[in-house]
Amino acid sequence: MADRRTRGMTGTEPSRTTAARAAAIAEQLHHECALLLELFRKKESLSPDLTVADGRLVTVPPPSSQLDTRDKLWRLHSALLQCRSLLERAITKEEEELGGAEKGDYQSQRKTVRDRLSLLLANTGELLKATDGTAVLTPSLEGLEIDGPTILFEVKLWIYRIFKELDYWTKTAITTLQGLPSVTAKERGRTTAVRRRRSTRR
Amino acid sequence: MCIYITLNYLFLTVCLCVHVFFFFSVPTVPQQVSLSPNLETQQLTLSWLGGESTTFDIMILRTELNETTVSVTADKISGQHQWNWTSVEPLECTSLSVQIRSRDGQTTSDWSDTHILPGMDLPSNKDSQMFPQDRVVSVGTNTTFCCIVEEGLGFGSIRYRDLVMNVTRLSRRSYAMTQINQGPSGVTGTNVFCSSDEKTLLNGAVVFVGYPPLPSDLVCETHDLVSAVCQWNRGRDTHLYGKKRKTYYTLNGRDCTEANQNQKWSACSLAQWDGNFTLVARNLLGQYSLTDSSELSLRVRPVAPANLTSVVRAWNATLLWQWKHRGYDSLALICQVELTSHWHTTTRTFSGVGLRSVIVLDLRPDEDYSIKVRCGVQQNFWNWGDWSGPLAFRTSIDIPDAPDVWMWIERDNTGRLMWKVSIIIYYYYSIVVIIIIVLFVSRNRQRLNWFDLKKKKKKYKRLFKSKLTAYMDGGFPLSWQSDANASCGYVVEWHDASCQQDCAVEWIKVAAENTNISAQSENFQPGVRYTLSLYSCSSEVPQLLQRWEGYMEELVPSSSVPHLSSNQQDSNIKLSWGEIPLVSRRGFLLGYHIYLNNGSQLMLLANVSDPTSRSYTVKGLPVGSYKFTVKAYTSAGEDTGATVSISLESYSRFLFNLVIVKCYNILFSIVARVKKAFYPDIPEPKLAGDWSRTQGPLDVKPSPHSMVHIVEEPEWDSSKEALVVIPEEDEDEDETGDEPVDTDEPTSLRYYNQVIDDRPIRPRFPDSSASSASSLDSARTDVTYTGIQTSGNSLGGYRPQMQPGSLSQDMGLPAPQAFSEPQPTKGASFGGYQPQCSWHLDSPVEAEESGGLAPSLGSPTSVASTQFLLPDSGSKEQPEGKGQGSSSATTWFHNLLSSAKP
Repeated sequence: MADRRTRGMTGTEPSRTTAARAAAIAEQLHHECALLLELFRKKESLSPDLTVADGRLVTVPPPSSQLDTRDKLWRLHSALLQCRSLLERAITKEEEELGGAEKGDYQSQRKTVRDRLSLLLANTGELLKATDGTAVLTPSLEGLEIDGPTILFEVKLWIYRIFKELDYWTKTAITTLQGLPSVTAKERGRTTAVRRRRSTRR
Repeated sequence: MCIYITLNYLFLTVCLCVHVFFFFSVPTVPQQVSLSPNLETQQLTLSWLGGESTTFDIMILRTELNETTVSVTADKISGQHQWNWTSVEPLECTSLSVQIRSRDGQTTSDWSDTHILPGMDLPSNKDSQMFPQDRVVSVGTNTTFCCIVEEGLGFGSIRYRDLVMNVTRLSRRSYAMTQINQGPSGVTGTNVFCSSDEKTLLNGAVVFVGYPPLPSDLVCETHDLVSAVCQWNRGRDTHLYGKKRKTYYTLNGRDCTEANQNQKWSACSLAQWDGNFTLVARNLLGQYSLTDSSELSLRVRPVAPANLTSVVRAWNATLLWQWKHRGYDSLALICQVELTSHWHTTTRTFSGVGLRSVIVLDLRPDEDYSIKVRCGVQQNFWNWGDWSGPLAFRTSIDIPDAPDVWMWIERDNTGRLMWKVSIIIYYYYSIVVIIIIVLFVSRNRQRLNWFDLKKKKKKYKRLFKSKLTAYMDGGFPLSWQSDANASCGYVVEWHDASCQQDCAVEWIKVAAENTNISAQSENFQPGVRYTLSLYSCSSEVPQLLQRWEGYMEELVPSSSVPHLSSNQQDSNIKLSWGEIPLVSRRGFLLGYHIYLNNGSQLMLLANVSDPTSRSYTVKGLPVGSYKFTVKAYTSAGEDTGATVSISLESYSRFLFNLVIVKCYNILFSIVARVKKAFYPDIPEPKLAGDWSRTQGPLDVKPSPHSMVHIVEEPEWDSSKEALVVIPEEDEDEDETGDEPVDTDEPTSLRYYNQVIDDRPIRPRFPDSSASSASSLDSARTDVTYTGIQTSGNSLGGYRPQMQPGSLSQDMGLPAPQAFSEPQPTKGASFGGYQPQCSWHLDSPVEAEESGGLAPSLGSPTSVASTQFLLPDSGSKEQPEGKGQGSSSATTWFHNLLSSAKP
């Protein structure tokens, strides 16, 4: 379970620009995650008609409508941090156990996702810091299945689930970041402007 | 011990047991049956105590479905009986029950208690499972997988990769399938998926199908002359990756952790060279060994040259590099330098001990080059080392050296400037621009002209006698005494000795420290005499130091002696002949053979060993007719010969005929003189310059102080290396009929009224004061002046022949000073000679110096003379016509007497 620090709830709104940028990065990461999953399934001959049962690897407090902006950001940031830890461990384990040293599309995409995730984390961290003015928390990896299984098929499933988890949390990030008040206002502004333009053209 | 084997379903086995009750003694039932499974190898080890029996029946049943029995042979070990059985399916797939009974012939014991090896499909294990996991097998083997379905779920399918397989049900929850003849798997193995009937992935397994290692080509070498680096070919792809399955190597028992897994070639190092090397490659499927052995000295492969640098010039570059190992200092190396320019690559090879710099020649100026180096050892060459990194550079811009210049003066005093340009320049530059700068010196600064040169040549001619040189080893070997004045070396020049015009002149420059060369040329021809001249090179005019003559190969004369005649003298016969032209001699004449033709045979009368002889007297012959043949000979032999006939008369008759002929000649001469005195021929119109082309040479004694100016004087710039050669034509002519031995006495210089061009001879305009009328017609008189030299002392009252009606007189101008005053430097040496040309007028400077004399003649007037002016009888200049008109009877009588002299 990720550690949660006691913080002062100031209710400060995050920077519009940072939030929008973070949302855009999350969208990009989500797209890249989908591509990574596709490459993985292809590499491992995992037929599309087979369903792989989900299993949560990231542990965060359950979502609630009661959470304010800072808590939503904190929850998201914590989940993404766990994802990054899992992803890096997955990459290491895959290369060690399965010999994935060769350079192909899959390996390239995997690196892209890792780098993009770090970028997203930097932005969510910045948002979080802007929100409560405190240092970015370091998640506790206690209880996290960080070492992974030993049976190779399970390792593969574990890696796949990490990718799926990342996919899930990037989707969540998009929703969360776009749902931030500043971003909403901005988007609303954009939408209004577009409508005005369209009205003018008509 | 032998175990009897049964193989049937349970009920069949029971039937067999019924038959054994016919035996009298019953074997003991096996006791203490135990099962030891090896899940990895799918092997089940059974052990029991069987008493005295040596034969047992073993029944292994799948507990739930009772389907399998096997036939085996078992051995007895240490009182216990043990038997190994390998299952097709993984032992975890389902539970197995085992029973054993003893057999003695047809008699069997009761079955032992059933012993069960529990499978993973027990109800207590509810989760879905699959077996085997992470199995590594060889390509081509069969592998059976089983899937235990999660409790409560329905089985769907088993897929090998994405291929749905046929399955066998082993138990209520366990299903198996077998993949036969498996092909190699991918990097991360081959996946086997088990799914539920709802196509939900239940579980799966990974199988790695590959090969045992099969390396090859183990080769060990040294780079630093101490350690060993062994390389080998990894061979075929094992298809086994990951830290547990990859191939591990050991070299002489030492782990080779640095062996690169992803390259076709791997390498491993040992700190010290060991003559014998053993490589062991090992993976989960097997191992393979390779060996190599060699002495260190036979396996030296240098490292790549390091820190490549260059010192660049226009046509070459010095390449420098360093070696990492000190041992290379004494190592004899051979290195290749690869040169690339404009996508064209060439390789040069160099060698040397501890080689670390080379000079790369034959580069082009101002060009981009990329260069790299690799080396090997000269002795016991093993292999080229690695290439160094490339080094790029651009050569410097080149300023070519001055061409090798030489000058040749033709007979008409035209100078031929010749030069040699380096073939490299022609090769590399499509356009060669040569600027010829001809400098002329002011007459006041330095008086130097062709006549000076001629005089010097005559001087040299007196000083030096041409030597003969023999052609050998492809050239004429020449040697000479060192000359202190030859500050910039020597020039050796050669040409065909008989050449008269447009001679093919070749030369070579020799450094000052050399006093011998071999004059070589591809143009040397046999039978051609070559004159080779040695000049010293200094800041002054080149000085002739030595002269040689020689033949590349002497041949027999190509023509016989000319003008062979015979005359009776008293009772003897004098044979006379002319000189064989130089071009026809084709060798140095050694003499003449005189033959008397006796029928068809030639009888040698005499050998005239003096090649300068022109006659021979045959004595003591009786009256009669004779035929003589004269043959000149060289070292190569004699010519075809010239023949003359004569009829030898008696001496008294010969005297009579001689007197008659003399009297007739005298009488004819007297009549001719009388006719000329009293009945002279009407003179034809006389044109100035009507000179005969065939006029003979005028021999004059040279004066050491005489000097005649010609149209231009070349300026000698001591700073230039261009050399000027002395005109040769006179000397050639002098020597045409001679052997190559110059006379030592002061020579009477010959001057010819030689017409250079073939155009009709126009009246020349030798003197502004004695110009002919015809010359006035032309504003530009194109006249060539050749070969003139005077000697005031020796000629006495010699004056240039004056033409009637001089221009200056006709124009009312004062007589040019040049006529009355000798040149300042000549003083009295000119005597009565007056130069015919008024070249002063061509030069503004000279015009000023001469006090502005006769400017009206105008320019351009290139004036020269092809005539030599004959001195008149008196000291005054007189028109030619006047002189003729004043002939008197006394004069003609004097002439008559003079002409009558024999």
